Amino acid sequence: MLLEAKGVSKAFGSFFAVRNADLTVAEGEIIGLIGPNGAGKSTFFNCLAGDAAPTSGTVSFDGVDLTRASPDTHARAGIGRTFQVPATFEDMTVLENVVVGAYLRHPHRNDARSKALEILELTGLARFAHQRARGLGTPGRKRLEIARVLALQPRLMLLDEALAGLTPGEVQRAVELLRKIHDMGVTLVIVEHIMEVIMTLAQRVIVFNQGHVIAQGKPEDVVKDEGVIQAYLGRNHGKRRGAR
Amino acid sequence: MKIGLPLLALALIGYPFVLNDPFYRDIGVAVLLAAISASAWNVVGGYAGQVSVGHGMFFGVGAYVPLLVFQHGAWPPVVGVPIAMVLSVLLAAAIGYPTFRLRGHYFSMATIAIAELIRIYVGTVDYLGAAIGLQGPAVGRGWWDLTFRGELPYYYIFLGVLAVVLYATFEMQRSRFGSYLRSIRANERAAASLGVPVRQTKLRALMLSAAFTSVAGSLYSIKTGFIDPESGFGLLVSVQMLITAALGGAGTLFGPLIGALILVPLQAATNTWFGGGGSGLTYILYGGIIVLLARFEPGGLYEFWHHFSTRWRARHAA
Repeated sequence: MLLEAKGVSKAFGSFFAVRNADLTVAEGEIIGLIGPNGAGKSTFFNCLAGDAAPTSGTVSFDGVDLTRASPDTHARAGIGRTFQVPATFEDMTVLENVVVGAYLRHPHRNDARSKALEILELTGLARFAHQRARGLGTPGRKRLEIARVLALQPRLMLLDEALAGLTPGEVQRAVELLRKIHDMGVTLVIVEHIMEVIMTLAQRVIVFNQGHVIAQGKPEDVVKDEGVIQAYLGRNHGKRRGAR
Repeated sequence: MKIGLPLLALALIGYPFVLNDPFYRDIGVAVLLAAISASAWNVVGGYAGQVSVGHGMFFGVGAYVPLLVFQHGAWPPVVGVPIAMVLSVLLAAAIGYPTFRLRGHYFSMATIAIAELIRIYVGTVDYLGAAIGLQGPAVGRGWWDLTFRGELPYYYIFLGVLAVVLYATFEMQRSRFGSYLRSIRANERAAASLGVPVRQTKLRALMLSAAFTSVAGSLYSIKTGFIDPESGFGLLVSVQMLITAALGGAGTLFGPLIGALILVPLQAATNTWFGGGGSGLTYILYGGIIVLLARFEPGGLYEFWHHFSTRWRARHAA
């Protein structure tokens, strides 16, 4: 197993945002993480990326325990993550943003720079290289986040709503980019609200509700699951369907 | 910029001969010292965005040690310069190690508190000259005492040090270290997720900055031949570095120098126009600059110029 999370819980005071969640990801998989707002996806995600230490449970990557390791240790181990709200370095140029990531594997300036340029080419951001990140719109900044993470040459990419707020056309292009990244051998875990993206990309879907994993399996099976439908649409919807 | 740099260098080298009056030379030396201090502050306060309001402590250590080795060991003050650098770096490590565990303003607050504590403490220790201060050699025993009658030798020593500090900053800016500092300033959480060892990087920046600031302090006390707690560790010393860098553009290579070129002559002017009665004006001036920067252009004159020139180019390209 590439990533293995066992019994992960995260409590804020007496409130459990994530309760006893398990996740195993094999090399080369694309996993979708879905659930209604406030289901605990992002918190779980932060536990996987080292941004928040779980209250209990363990997270290991490629057999190495990373439960309490810092975010930069996660990056060095080969886990890259994007942020729900783009966290690009606004006053730095697009190229400089990517160079920061590239320095992880290429400590020398010229190597880091050429790696970054290569990635800008791949992600279609090359023509914005010398613009400040501030000047990019939301789609551009989301793309820049992906580019920056790609510069880490990660084995696993955690994408937190990387496609939210994009137009259908932009989503299409972003999906193509994610396919390309997957073809390069990067394993993907995607948190996403856009079901179209999950249905076309994910090989396996994990559904969160109120901090629990309530279902997992192939996307086409999961969307038919009664529990999942209830979680998204409420109990009444399930009843009405049953009555019909 | 390609013509700008040689022009600036030429202007700085030629200045004492163009305006060869001692008064103007003195202002020139003061500009250079302010530029060195602010450039030193800039490494951690500008590039890394960790605003220190207590850099006077490193300046003070740098200023005290050379006169201490003279007073108690009769050594040339210069001997104290490397000793002071080592002490400043150790002090930086002692402050940065605990405070950089925390995010936010804890670092800024800790720097003010510690600088003030040191200032008050030094004022009570007789060995350190207490409240009266320390004196350097009144008459140089040789060139190595660096006690010159005119301003000119100091001017060129300071200019040389400024050149070294700026060159080091330039190299830092282009390196991985510099790139990491800017990413921390922009977004700490994102930087960490990209493998930047945030705490360690901040700590290294503070230690480097402390070493440079210490040199600035040494230059000051060697030239003046006198130091007391207020002019070494005083809050105004710290604030002046911050304001100078912020005015020109914190986190830019030439920002602190530009700030010094504007601020120091302005202070000299207010002092001459208003005489001793206008000494409080310095505070009003600093306060006013803070208000203007915060309201209109937190990036300083560098950012102002950047916006202005991009807008101008956009208008004239169309």
